[in-house]
Parts: sequence; structure tokens; C-alpha cells
Amino acid sequence: MMSNTNNLIFKGLHIVAWVIFVGLCIEAGGLIVNFFYSLYEPEFVQNLYQNLDLTEMYKQSKWAFFNVYSFLIVISILKAYLFYILLRLMHKMDLLKPFNMYVSRQISLMSYYTLSIGLLSYLGRQVAISLTHQGYVIDNLNHFWADSQAFIVMGAVLYIIATIFKKGVEIQNENDLTV
Amino acid sequence: MAIIVNLDVMMAKRKMSLNELSEKVNLSLSNLSILKTGKAKAIRFSTLEAICEALDCQPGELLEFSKD
Repeated sequence: MMSNTNNLIFKGLHIVAWVIFVGLCIEAGGLIVNFFYSLYEPEFVQNLYQNLDLTEMYKQSKWAFFNVYSFLIVISILKAYLFYILLRLMHKMDLLKPFNMYVSRQISLMSYYTLSIGLLSYLGRQVAISLTHQGYVIDNLNHFWADSQAFIVMGAVLYIIATIFKKGVEIQNENDLTV
Repeated sequence: MAIIVNLDVMMAKRKMSLNELSEKVNLSLSNLSILKTGKAKAIRFSTLEAICEALDCQPGELLEFSKD
């Protein structure tokens, strides 16, 4: 039986997850729309999502611009999808009987996506650093991959939790079939 | 599975239905069904004792080992 406090915390977390998910969808959508707009209207590059100005990079090398921008789009889409999986899990999960294959699979999925986000963010940051050495100015992009290490740690922790949860499901199934 | 549960055989010998056995051993019909259909992963000694008491038989008459 869940206490009222736990129920309240879970509902609060659900609302927070929804707010973050909507924000991430807006960010991903904004970046994607800006990307396609910049293909047909190059002058739009100076006024991208969140007032991002990548005019100098675009003028120096379109390849570098599209390369870096692709990283931003993929990372933002993955973040939005990660929170979608989380919301789906929170919506379907029964906290009184949490140990089932569905929850185990969702936690595993979340660990894979979190690790992917962390690794891609890290890779994006390394690409940005190498571009800086070639004379490109990209300080305004740092906040997009500042949290790469945090995502990698979170992914590793989630993977461990998923493994333990899978074992819990096995033990529960065996317990259910013990008469 | 290598362990075969001959519960239905013993129940037929003692002319006892699943409902009757369920009431005597204080086990739910679903759990007894799991045992009868061979889906059980484990059986508690207390359950085995109760079934043997109800069916007046030995554990060896209920459980059989078969090499697959």
C-alpha cells in the first residue's frame, strides 16, 4: 500500500516530466523548423532558435554548420523521446505491482537512450572543440552539450537499475509460480 | 519440465474434484491449476504435506522424475 506522501511525490514528478517533455518538444521542433528554413533562406541563420546566430560558421563552411546543427537536432530529438518513454512508463506503471517485463523493458530502453544522448553530446562537444581550433566561433553552442557527462553517468546508473529490476521480475515470476 | 506432477491421477483415484481439494488444502483454484498443468516452478513442503494429507498418498506418488 502506497503512502499519501509517495502518491503526491509521484503525481508531482509526473507533472514535472510533462512540463519538461513539452519544453523539449518545443526545442526539438524549433531546431528542426529552423534547419529546413535555413536551407531555403540562408539569411535566417543569424536568427535561429533561442536567438542562436551561426552566420559566421555558415559563411566559413556550410559543411561545418550542417554538421554541428545535425548534432543539435539529433540530441534534442533523443531527449524529447527519452521523456516520452518516461511519461509512457509513468502512465502505465502500477506502483503496487511494479515488477513486470514491460517496466523492465522501458527502464532498459531509457538507459540506452540516456547513454546515447551522453555519448552524442560528448562527441558533439569534441567536434565543436576541433572546429574552435580551426577558427570557428561556437561559444554560443556550449550549453547544448554541457551536460554530456551527466547523461553518461545517468545512463550507466539506469543500466544497473534495469539489470537489478530484470532480476526482480525473474524472482517475482518464480514466486508467482511457487505453490 | 523434468518433474511431472501426477495430481490429476491421484485426484481421479481418490475421486476428488479440484474444488474439493482446493477447500481441503486451503489453496486457491488457480494455484492448484498451476500445479496440475505442470506450470509450477516450485512447491512448498507445507503445500505438499497438505495435498498428501488430503489425498492420503506419498509425495513419491504425486511427483515423478522423467529424463527429457
